[in-house]
Amino acid sequence: MLKDITFGQYYPGTSVVHRLDPRIKLILTLAYITMLFVADGMIPLAVGVGFVVLFYALARLPAKLIFKSMKPVVPIIVFTAVLNVLFIEGEPLWTFYFIKITKEGLLTAALMCVRILCLIAGSSLLTYTTSPIVLTDGLERLMRPLSAIKVPVHELAMMMTIALRFIPTLVEETGKIMSAQKARGADMESGTVIQRAKALVPILIPLFVSAFRRADELALAMECRCYHGGEGRTRMKQLSLGPQDWIAVLVVAAGFAGIVLLNLYGPPVLKL
Amino acid sequence: MSEIIRTEHLSYVYSAGTPFENAALDDINISVEEGTFLGLIGHTGSGKSTLIQHLNGLLKPDSGKVYIGGEDIWADPKKIRRFRFKVGLVFQYPEYQLFEETVRKDISFGPRNMGLSEEEIAGRVLEAAELVGLPENYLDKSPFELSGGEKRRAAIAGVLAMRPEVLILDEPTAGLDPRGREHILGEIAEYHDRYGATIILVSHSMEDVARFADHVLIMDHGHAAMYGTTREIFRRVGELTEMGLEVPQISRIFAGLAARGIPVPESVLTVGEAKEAVLRLLREGGGV
Repeated sequence: MLKDITFGQYYPGTSVVHRLDPRIKLILTLAYITMLFVADGMIPLAVGVGFVVLFYALARLPAKLIFKSMKPVVPIIVFTAVLNVLFIEGEPLWTFYFIKITKEGLLTAALMCVRILCLIAGSSLLTYTTSPIVLTDGLERLMRPLSAIKVPVHELAMMMTIALRFIPTLVEETGKIMSAQKARGADMESGTVIQRAKALVPILIPLFVSAFRRADELALAMECRCYHGGEGRTRMKQLSLGPQDWIAVLVVAAGFAGIVLLNLYGPPVLKL
Repeated sequence: MSEIIRTEHLSYVYSAGTPFENAALDDINISVEEGTFLGLIGHTGSGKSTLIQHLNGLLKPDSGKVYIGGEDIWADPKKIRRFRFKVGLVFQYPEYQLFEETVRKDISFGPRNMGLSEEEIAGRVLEAAELVGLPENYLDKSPFELSGGEKRRAAIAGVLAMRPEVLILDEPTAGLDPRGREHILGEIAEYHDRYGATIILVSHSMEDVARFADHVLIMDHGHAAMYGTTREIFRRVGELTEMGLEVPQISRIFAGLAARGIPVPESVLTVGEAKEAVLRLLREGGGV
């Protein structure tokens, strides 16, 4: 059961999207999210949808991955849609006692749903095509200017890398401890909420103990190899920008401009 | 003697339906008599750990059946816990499962889950601690204050306190020094003798298996490759070596001697037996 949890959901590949520089991918993802919120009608938003489709196609990811990433947000989307449909005032299309459905409500709901879906799909694309380690690398580089104001950027990135590295280990460990306690008759599947919470104690305590033990061991191993933090440290893999990175930037910039233009001069249909 | 464990066409597949599909167990049919001391041997990944987790219902077979004391353990999935108390399973490095404030509380975790009376629990804790050789004043210490070997014994006591009819141990001596190993193996043998319990000992040490087990089950690539009395199995030196498994050093030496035509018994399991055999040979003045 626990083995099914995948974290980081990296889907290895060699496509052009995979090979983009992680810094560029991070910035472009942020730009893309901004883009989705700038778009104020269905037509400009269609450009946003087009982007997701284009980049997923370029990344050669199986379509089922897109749906997999969207599954957890379905309740949120339904909730948002229902709220918007029911509570936005405007020109009524249909009334039933106190329920009033308006044109504005329907449109807002549709816009919000498309936005959320694109948002999830877009940010999942980042994690699907970038391994967590590379992503952390990119983040470290992007945040480097912050070290001028004494933010320990390298240390933070190292912590993140280590945390990511140990997630599968701890998941496996949890599975083992759960089996061991079940073998002693621990019952985790039945009982009231409080009983179930209590049943977690025999799992969490050994898990914490082992996490601390591992942390100690790792710290010792790092010290043995003379690790002393970020100062003067060089890297084995240098990040460098290639032509494909600049092309990606241009494509996204063009899309952004397109959306702004459509907002200003596009046909005023399906717009708020 | 009656049969305590039986598996019928037991099969289990990991990650079914994915490219990582991997048959961990393939059509296992074994029957174990009550009171047997069974040594379970096989390479890493041969299916040993998967098999033992089926015997107390931690894993559910994909096909086939597991019977404990004649009852199909999955006949009523709601009652599966009953079999976890009947079949005690000590995992590898069991000391990592300790969690209570005191050793006493930790050992009583299993019996308490069984719903026994406080009186009964207290008695069982003392008995289990005595069995693994933990002095009484240790019972009120925190399990995290104990040494590695003591922690392991406390964890094993936690399973023994449930007084299982079948006790399964997955490499209970891994990572211990020779004295610690002797201690633990001695305690297991003691539990076997005192309660007439059935023991399944998963081990990489052929010497340990040869000394304690009366039956041996060899697992290979998810199959039950060989199953029989210890003597029968360790006689098959050639087959075992082919599987990449060792036989006890002393058995190998005697198999080699027998192959060279020296009149010694073909299968010798322990150094003690070997001594007897050599002395007999010298007395008879035969051989070299």
